[in-house]
Amino acid sequence: MTQTVLTEEAAADPGPSSPPLPRAALWRRLRHDKAAATGLVIIAVMVLVAVFAPVLTALEGQDPTTQHSELVDSAVGTPLGAHGGISGSHWLGVEPQTGRDLFARLVYGARISLGIAFGATAIQVLIGVSIGIAAGLGGRLVDSALGRLTDLSLAFPYVLFAIGLMAIVPDSIPRPLVLAVVIALVAWGGTARLARGQTLSLKTRDYVAAAKLSGAPPLRVARREILPGLVTPVLTYAALLVPSNMIAEAGLSFLGVGIRPPTPSWGQMLSQGTTWFRPDVLYVLVPGGALFVTLLAFTLLADGVRRILDPKNTEVAP
Amino acid sequence: MRKIPVFTAALALVIAGTAACGSSSSPSSGKGGQAGSAAAFDPKTCQGGTLEVLNQASISKLDPARIYTSGGGNIPSLLFRTLTTRNRLPGQEGAKPAPDLATDLGTPSDGAKTWTYHLKDNLFFEDGTPITSDDVKYGIERSFAPELSGGAPYLRDWLVDASGYQGPYKQPEGIKAIETPDPKTIIFHLSKPEGDFPLLATATQFAPVPKAKDTGVDYEKHPVSSGPYMVATFEKKKTLDLVRNPHWSAATDPLRYACPDKINITAGLESAVINQRIATGSGQDANAVTTDTTVGPDQLAQLGSNPDLAKRVSKGEFPATTYLAFNPKVKPFDDIRVREAISYAVNRSTAVNAAGGTAVAGASTTFLPPQKALGYQPYDYFPAGATGNPAKAKELLAQAGYPNGLSITLDHEADDADNLGPKLATAIQDALKAAGITVTLKPSDDSGYRDVTGKPSTEPGLSLQYWGADWPSGGPFLIPIFDGRQIIDSGGNFNLAQLNDPAVNAEIDAINQITDPAQAQARWGALDAKLGQQALTVPLFYEKDVYLFGKNIKNAVPDGWRGQYDLARISVK
Amino acid sequence: MIGYVVRRLVGAVIVLLVLSAVVYGLFYAGPSNPALLACGKGCTPDHLAEVKSAMGLDKSLGDQYLSFLHGIFFGHDYSSGPSVRSCPAPCLGYSFETDQSVTSILTSALPVSASLALGALVLSLLLGVGSGLVTVLSGRRWLDRGLNAVVLLGYSTPVFLVALVLLIVFCSDLKWLPFPNYVPLTQNPGQWAQNLLLPWIALALIGSASYARMTRAQMLETLSEDHVRTARAYGLSERRVITGHVLRGALTPLVTMAAIDLAAIMTSAVLTESMFGLPGIGHALVDAVHGGDLPVIVGVTVAAGSLYILANALADILYAAIDPRVELA
Repeated sequence: MTQTVLTEEAAADPGPSSPPLPRAALWRRLRHDKAAATGLVIIAVMVLVAVFAPVLTALEGQDPTTQHSELVDSAVGTPLGAHGGISGSHWLGVEPQTGRDLFARLVYGARISLGIAFGATAIQVLIGVSIGIAAGLGGRLVDSALGRLTDLSLAFPYVLFAIGLMAIVPDSIPRPLVLAVVIALVAWGGTARLARGQTLSLKTRDYVAAAKLSGAPPLRVARREILPGLVTPVLTYAALLVPSNMIAEAGLSFLGVGIRPPTPSWGQMLSQGTTWFRPDVLYVLVPGGALFVTLLAFTLLADGVRRILDPKNTEVAP
Repeated sequence: MRKIPVFTAALALVIAGTAACGSSSSPSSGKGGQAGSAAAFDPKTCQGGTLEVLNQASISKLDPARIYTSGGGNIPSLLFRTLTTRNRLPGQEGAKPAPDLATDLGTPSDGAKTWTYHLKDNLFFEDGTPITSDDVKYGIERSFAPELSGGAPYLRDWLVDASGYQGPYKQPEGIKAIETPDPKTIIFHLSKPEGDFPLLATATQFAPVPKAKDTGVDYEKHPVSSGPYMVATFEKKKTLDLVRNPHWSAATDPLRYACPDKINITAGLESAVINQRIATGSGQDANAVTTDTTVGPDQLAQLGSNPDLAKRVSKGEFPATTYLAFNPKVKPFDDIRVREAISYAVNRSTAVNAAGGTAVAGASTTFLPPQKALGYQPYDYFPAGATGNPAKAKELLAQAGYPNGLSITLDHEADDADNLGPKLATAIQDALKAAGITVTLKPSDDSGYRDVTGKPSTEPGLSLQYWGADWPSGGPFLIPIFDGRQIIDSGGNFNLAQLNDPAVNAEIDAINQITDPAQAQARWGALDAKLGQQALTVPLFYEKDVYLFGKNIKNAVPDGWRGQYDLARISVK
Repeated sequence: MIGYVVRRLVGAVIVLLVLSAVVYGLFYAGPSNPALLACGKGCTPDHLAEVKSAMGLDKSLGDQYLSFLHGIFFGHDYSSGPSVRSCPAPCLGYSFETDQSVTSILTSALPVSASLALGALVLSLLLGVGSGLVTVLSGRRWLDRGLNAVVLLGYSTPVFLVALVLLIVFCSDLKWLPFPNYVPLTQNPGQWAQNLLLPWIALALIGSASYARMTRAQMLETLSEDHVRTARAYGLSERRVITGHVLRGALTPLVTMAAIDLAAIMTSAVLTESMFGLPGIGHALVDAVHGGDLPVIVGVTVAAGSLYILANALADILYAAIDPRVELA
C-alpha cells in the first residue's frame, strides 16, 4: 500500500517541462503504443461499468444488498449450484453466507473503488498543486515552511496514519468520502514536490519572468503562466496516483477499517472472500481479478504516457 | 450473562485455502484421533502431556472477583474451585450443580432464605495452607470492591444488607450476611428465598482467596490456586501457562480429572487460524483445543468429505439467545404494533446465515432458548415464517399510522466477533426493507456499545443483543432482562425493555421460592410465553456450540451446562 | 560533513516533535471520547473514571502532550486510587485494556517486523538487482522487455493478492510448506526462517520490481558515463570495467533506498502481517484500532513515524557520505 516507486520516480524526475506537445501528436503516439492503448481501453470499460452500474444490475434484475438465503446452503453458507451459483439470473453467482448477487456487488463496488480512487487523486492534486505552486512562487520563508510540511507528509508511514485516522472518525460521515479524504491527506506530498519542482523551473522561463516584470499579481501569474505548464507532468503523475489510491482503499477495506458493509467495495469483498476460498473460489477471483486488471490497466497507461512524453526515450517500448 | 468479550480483529485470513496445510512430519502420537467415547476413556491412565489451548479472546482478567462465568467457566475452573460446580456431564445431568469445595449442595432453611455449607476435608491452596470458610467469605467480599469490578450481579441483591457494601479494603468488618462459625462452615443469609442458590454458588466469586496473599488489583498476576493447576507464567493478553498444583488432591475432587501435566493457553489468535491449526494438527497442534472459537465455514464445508475431521467436532448447546432489543421509551417503539410489525418482518434464515449457518445457530421465536433446563415452551405469536412476512408487517405499520413505511436506526457492534456486528445488522436491514422499513445502521465499537445500551438514558430504540444463561434455569435468563427491580439507571443495565410490571415481579419472586426444579421450569416457561406477547424483544436465534479439538485429544465431550468440552476432563494421551 | 550530519539530525528531531504533537493532538482532541477508547472493551463507569484520572485527561491538551513527552524520557506512573501502574522510560503510553505499557507491546512486536523487513529486503535486493543486472549485461532485448513486463505486473498487484496466491499454491495445493506461525529467531532459527519464507517472498516479489527497474536505469546511465568510457579506452577488460567502475556508481543509490525501505517495510507491512498472522507492529496497530485502544494507536504511530523519519535522515547522511557529488547545503 505504500506509494509505489513509480510515483516516487515520477516525482523525482517528472520529464521535460516544455510546453505540451500538440494533442494530435500525443493521440497518435498513444494509439501506436499497444500497451498504453490497452490500458486506456480497460479503464474506459471499467469507468463505464461503474457509471452504468444501476442499468447493468437492472438488466440482470438484481441489486447489491438483497440477501437470498434460499441460494446458499443453510448449514455451511456456500452457494448452492455449481461455480458459486452462476445462473441466468445471477450472472456471476452469489456471495456465500448472504446470497447477495455477486455481479451487482462487483459493479457497484467498481463505483466505490474507482470513485474513491479518483476522488482521492483529485483532492491530492488540488492540495499538492496549490502547495507546490505557493512554495515555488513564494519567497524563501514560504518555500521553506511549506517544504518542511511536505517533508513531514512524505517522510511518514502513512499506512499507519491512515489506519489510525479511520479509527477516530465518527460514523455519521459517509465512509467513501472519509476514505477519499484520509487517503488524500496522507499522500499529497509527492504531488506537492512535483508541482514545486516544475514551478521552480518554469519560473525561470522568459515568458513567466516577463509576466512578473509587467506587474501581474502572483495569483494571475500562477494561473496563466505556471498552471498550463503543470498540466502534463501533473496529469502523468496523477495517472499513477489512481492505482496507488485504489490499493490504499482496498487495503484499508481489507483490514476492516475502510468501507463498511453492506456497501460493496472490491477490497472488502476480497477480505471476506479469503475465508471462502476453498468452498467458493469465484468469490475471490471476481473482485481480485477486477482489481488486478484495473490496476494493471492504469499502470500500463501511466507508463505508456510517460514514455510518450519523454523525448529522452531510452526505454524500450514493449 | 453477557458473552465474554472477544478481542478480535475482524480480519479474514487466507486460512480457507490452507486448511489441509501442514507438513506430515509432525510427531503426533499414533494413538489416533478418536473422539472421546466415554467407554474407551479411563481417567486413571490419562495422566501426562501438555494441552495447548488456542483462543481468540485475550485473557484480560484472572482475578476471581472479576471473572463473569457460567458454571465456573472453563479455564477459570482449572484454578478456582467454588462451593459448588457444574456437574460436567453431557445432557440433562450436566445442567445440574454438584458439590465442589462443599460436601453437598447446601442445606436450605428458613424457606430457602438461609443456606448452610460445610467444606470438605483436606482442601489446600497451592502453597499448602488449608482452605477455610473464611477464605470463601473473603473471596466474596472482595468482589464487592469497586476497583475489582466485574462478575455476576446477584449477590448484591440477594445477600441481606449487602447492596451498599464497598469491599474489605474500605470496610474490613465484612458482610454480616455471611457467617463463618467455624473453619469448615459457611452460612448465607438471603433477603428473599432463592431456590437457585446452589446454582449461583458455581460462580467464580465463590472461590476462596487467602487474605494474607491478597494484593488487590495485582492479585491477578498470580492468583492463589485452589484447583488442580496453578499459574506458572502469565503474560496478559498473550499466554497463560499452567502447571500442576501439588496440593490439590484428586480424592476431594472427583469431577476434575486433570489429565495433562501442563496447560498452555495462547490468546489473541485469529479465529480462522485457530480452526485451521486444530484441523491440521501438526506438531503441538495435535494436542490443541479452543474454548472460545466455534468451527468456521471452511471446516464446516469439509466435514462431509473428511471423516477424520468430522470425528473431532464437539457439538453442544449453551443456552443463549441473540435478539433485537426494543427501548419502548423511544418512539416509534412505544407502539406495540410497530414492535409486532418488526417481529413479523425479520428474516431468520438470513440472520442464521449471518451467524454462520444452521450448524452454529438455530432460528428461535422464543426468548428462552430451547433447552429443557430453562423451562422452554415454544411460542410464535408473530409468525414470520422462514424468511419473514413483510405483507403482515406492512399491514401492522399502516394500522400504527405508518402506511408509507418507517425510518429507524439499528445500533450494533462494529465487528462480528460476538455475532452482533455488521453481518447480522445488514441481514436485519435487508429483511426490514421488504416491509417498507428503512434501517440506518449505527455501528459502535464494543466499549461504547455496552456503555450506551446499558444506560437507560442513552439506550437506543433498537439494538442487537445477546444473552446467555448464568446457570441453566429460566431465572437468570429472565430476571435481569424483565425484572423491574433489576433496572440500573447508572449503567450496566440489562433490562433493556425497562419493564417494571408488578405482576411480573411478583411472579418472579414466587418462582424463586420454589425448590423443585421441574416445577420452577414450568413456571419460568409460562412466564416467558406471557412476556412474549408484549413483543418487547424479537428473538432471532439460539446458539449451537460446535468446537474442534485436536487429533490427540480424548474425552472431549460437551457438558450439558456450557455446551463445551471441559478442560479439566480432557486428556492428550 | 559533520555540519550536514548535525543539521540533518536536528531537522529530523524537529520533524519528530511536530509529528508527535500532530498525532497526539489529532487523536486525543479528535471527535471521540479518548477515555472511553482507552478504557477499552468491557468498560464500567468506575473503571472509566479511574482511567480518566490516571491518564490525566482532565488536564488541558497541551499539558497532556507535555506529560506524554516527559514520559518518553523519564517514564510515567499512572495512578488512580490504590492501583499504580508504572510505565518505565521510554513510556509511549499505557494500554489499560491489556494492562501493559505500549513500549512493552512494541518490544515484542518489533523483532517480528524487523525479521520480516530484513528478510524481505535482502530477498528484494537479490532478486531485483540480480534481474536488473542480468538484463542489462546480457544485452538481450527480449529479456529487457520481459523484465519490464514483470515489473509492471509487480506494481499493479496489491500485496494481499500475492500473499493469497502464495498461500494457496504453496500451502494448500502443493503442500510444500506449513502454514506460517511465527517462531522467534532466538528460539529456533530454522523454523523462524521457514515460517517467514512465504511472507518474505510475497514482499520481495513486489519490492524487487522497483529495484530491478532502478538497477537497470542506473546501470544504463552509468555505462554511458565518461569515467567508464575512459576505463574502456584504457583497455580494461569488460569485467573489470563493470566490477570496478560501474557497479559502485550504479548501486550506491540503491543502498540508501534500501535503508529507507527497511524502515518502510517495518512500519507499513500491515497487510502482510495480517495475511500471515505475524504479530508485528502493523498487526498491533490494527488490533488496537479494532479494540479501540487509543494509547496503543498513538504510541505505535509515533514510534513507527519516528523510526521512518530517522531512517530517512540516516539514508540522506549515508548518501552524502558515499556520493561526493551530493550538495551538502
